[in-house]
Amino acid sequence: MSHIAQLSPLPVVLPMVGAAVLAGSRKWLNRAAADSIGIAFAAATLAISALLLAHSVHGTEIYWFGNWYPRGSVVLGIAFVTEPIGAGLATLAALLTVLALLFSWRFVDSGGNHFQPLMLVFLAAMSGFVLTGDLFNLFVFFELMSTAAFALCGLKTAEPAPLQGSFNFAVTNSVAAFLVLSGTGLLYAVTGALNMAQIGLALGGRHDPLVLFAFTLLTCGFFIKAAIVPFHFWLPDAHAVAPTPVCVLFSGMMVELGLYAVVRLHSVIFAQTFAAHEGAFRGILLVIGALTVVVGGVMCYAEHHLKRMLAFSTICHAGLMLLAFAIQGPVAVAAMLTYLLAHAFVKSGLFFTAGVILHRLRSIGEKALYGTGKGLWGVAALWFLGGAGLAGAPPFATMLAEAGVSHAQKDAGLHGVALLFIFGGLMTGGAVFRIGMHTFFGWGAGPKTDPAAEVGELPETAEENRKIFWYHYLPPAFCIASALALAFLPGWMAVLRNAAAAMVSQPAYLHTLYTGQTVALALPSWKRAVPEACLHGAIGIVLAGALACSSVFRRKLKKPLRVGDFLEGPMRPWRDAQSGHPGDYVMWITVGLAAIGSATMLLLR
Amino acid sequence: MTERWRIRVFLVAGPIFLGLYCYAAMNLPAWGSYRGPYGDAISRLVVYQRHATDAVNAINYDYRAFDTLGEEFILFTAVLGVMMLLRRPDDVAMRRAKVSDEGKLSTTVRAIAGPALLVTVLFGLYIALHGQLTPGGGFQGGVILATGPLLVYVCENTKAFRRITSHAAIEVIEALGAGGYALIGLSGLAMGVPLFTNILPLETTGDVWSSGTIAVISACVGLEVTAAFLLVVFTYLEEIISGQVPQE
Amino acid sequence: MQHVLNCTPYFVAAWLFFCGLYGLVTSRHLVHSVISLAILQSSTYMLLLGIGYRVGGAAPVFVGIAPGQLTVDPIVQALMLTDIVVEAVVVALLLAMVVKAHEKSGCVSPTDLRTMRG
Repeated sequence: MSHIAQLSPLPVVLPMVGAAVLAGSRKWLNRAAADSIGIAFAAATLAISALLLAHSVHGTEIYWFGNWYPRGSVVLGIAFVTEPIGAGLATLAALLTVLALLFSWRFVDSGGNHFQPLMLVFLAAMSGFVLTGDLFNLFVFFELMSTAAFALCGLKTAEPAPLQGSFNFAVTNSVAAFLVLSGTGLLYAVTGALNMAQIGLALGGRHDPLVLFAFTLLTCGFFIKAAIVPFHFWLPDAHAVAPTPVCVLFSGMMVELGLYAVVRLHSVIFAQTFAAHEGAFRGILLVIGALTVVVGGVMCYAEHHLKRMLAFSTICHAGLMLLAFAIQGPVAVAAMLTYLLAHAFVKSGLFFTAGVILHRLRSIGEKALYGTGKGLWGVAALWFLGGAGLAGAPPFATMLAEAGVSHAQKDAGLHGVALLFIFGGLMTGGAVFRIGMHTFFGWGAGPKTDPAAEVGELPETAEENRKIFWYHYLPPAFCIASALALAFLPGWMAVLRNAAAAMVSQPAYLHTLYTGQTVALALPSWKRAVPEACLHGAIGIVLAGALACSSVFRRKLKKPLRVGDFLEGPMRPWRDAQSGHPGDYVMWITVGLAAIGSATMLLLR
Repeated sequence: MTERWRIRVFLVAGPIFLGLYCYAAMNLPAWGSYRGPYGDAISRLVVYQRHATDAVNAINYDYRAFDTLGEEFILFTAVLGVMMLLRRPDDVAMRRAKVSDEGKLSTTVRAIAGPALLVTVLFGLYIALHGQLTPGGGFQGGVILATGPLLVYVCENTKAFRRITSHAAIEVIEALGAGGYALIGLSGLAMGVPLFTNILPLETTGDVWSSGTIAVISACVGLEVTAAFLLVVFTYLEEIISGQVPQE
Repeated sequence: MQHVLNCTPYFVAAWLFFCGLYGLVTSRHLVHSVISLAILQSSTYMLLLGIGYRVGGAAPVFVGIAPGQLTVDPIVQALMLTDIVVEAVVVALLLAMVVKAHEKSGCVSPTDLRTMRG
């Protein structure tokens, strides 16, 4: 094993050591020291993950913990599979954590220096989640990620709202963890293995009810984490109450990791299970994805609380990613991963900007913010650029991903998916534009409001420090700039395409795991689809702007043109579903389980 | 959603899910006929490869030591979360709060506290240190050890209990346990072998100091679990006491 | 019929899962919700330990039995062992949220606590 490959477990173990150091010396460190140590460990993890990524481009490395190599086909230990997709996601997680810790320097309440070790543990869990090749290990890091997230969500204990938000979050995600564990158990019973490659090898093309039910349990468990409808209800509650740096990690990484897990399990374990029923399988995923996009988009526009609005936009974009995956095939998965990367940067930039707004303007509800942001040109620029990125405008990398999806959908004979991308972009971008126009320019007659936005949020930083420092500007500026620059940087797209092709191929994965040799696969570029995607992006951003204007200037428009006004309205049945009661959320989870389970059993046997 | 509709919808979706679960379970191998290769491979190899007689702990601290590191950190994170959620802005005033120990327990019970504590601590240490030989190990031993101070509290010596558990060293011990586990793995890395390779000499099967790093990791975990449970109990107790102490 | 009887432990696991979900849906007290989660956890224990059992197998502790003799599956026991202790502390974390919610707002019913609607 090469020297660099020996560093494979460090993205997980190093932040854990850092968390232990910080927790042990918590009482004796002042705020600056604790922040510095946290950033140092996160930065070191970033360096190592980036090194592993650079190395994995030349060949996938398999790391066997405890030096336990497989005996024949029986795997005895746990494996880490360091390939470009996993290493890339680990690097992204480390980067966002460094930015989040930088943003929270000194002023965000750290709960007695508990915040920094929890962030480091969160980073360790995310790194382990993407690098592992063992199903039970995946579950352990899923639980670790969830537990760190519950604790981080409840940081602001001065109001009752955070506790309810984090309780709903905890209940729904614990149910998700138990679903994943039950699915793991069923697969273990059938195959006697916990390593993903060995399970895939042992299952072969089996599609009896047991395998289909295990698929349902695992996929629904990860869909809860990925906030797919009808499992999405916990996300807005959690985002409304968590501090901004934590929201960045939730929306930028944690939700996407749920979808990553679904793709990974489908490619390695269930690759041949649905071979006979590809059309029906695609149909089920397309329906779920479309539902998620519509619900997420409509609710996003109807929200007047900045962070809840961004949370619903995350749900909408998660639906778009699921649609990309539903098309199936290496091109579609490559497009989905490109979208994941672009969305992570754009969403993080928007959340950081919302954090700056909360810090400077001391409020997070649209009505309270009306007109108070005049003169904050830098913040306004970041906010509007973020909205453009959500709408898929060229030259953001989201447009590139959409090009891939158009290309893949044409090959598959589908044609509605691109329309859903435009719909998602216009609703989410429109909401961001509307809030921007109200806050930074003070246009129009004054924003509407709703009970959820009235709940309000205590600012995260102390009153005396309303100045915006460089470490408040740098994270959002870096994220938005990256989302723009990605479209122009050479080389990474080819690497991602080839890595996606290898990820989707079960024979390639099995060969690499058991023999240690990489299988090189290549995927042609989708440059031809880019002009059309530019057109879609341009349409999206124009429609988003028009929608926002129809809300802001509603008094001056005739009744039929007040589309935005209508969409912002009470929407009683939709809002009642988002009730804040954990029993309701679990009921919807059961409905989703029953629906997906029945559909799988009936259509795919 | 009103409560009635919530229950009605659930009573449609829930039984469907239950039915699917049972239908799938009928395809499982018959109960009592475990066939899989993984468990049998470990059972055959564990004594020869690791000189450990307890296969379950050998799996936990050697074959799948990385899993257990993750689980231990879930414990660590949850304790951190409890301490953060129930934090008191004014620690100093709490420590000086006078709590009276007037109670109505009989002298016999209070007298037994001492011997019971001794037995509990000895038993906990025995379980924690013999994990590689017999069922037990760090997790179970740690929980038993944590009940020692609880005995003190139950036998109405709140002052002594608070003196033991409020000591700053408990947090440090917990961090040492968690960090120590990770460092044991890293020591293998420093020697050029993968993480959690058993690098210590294996000695003879059946001795207490056998099976290399399994015993050491088990002791580390025992430290951490003891400290973690003591911290949780202490934090909850302070929450109750703060409700009884008049705020000036 | 014999086959159905053979699957009874798995039916019990399925029923426990359903009971846990029912408890969460109908709960009127936050502590009750947390305990329902613990019941869901028990369902997973039943499933996993039932899968690993072997009729006539000894415990996987090789003191007094020779290595290579028929034992039950040690893997699932190893998985469950750490899970039980860890779950106890995660329940403590959830209960800390409940305690804090009661302290701040004076109520422990999910219905009364609804500041998050819409």
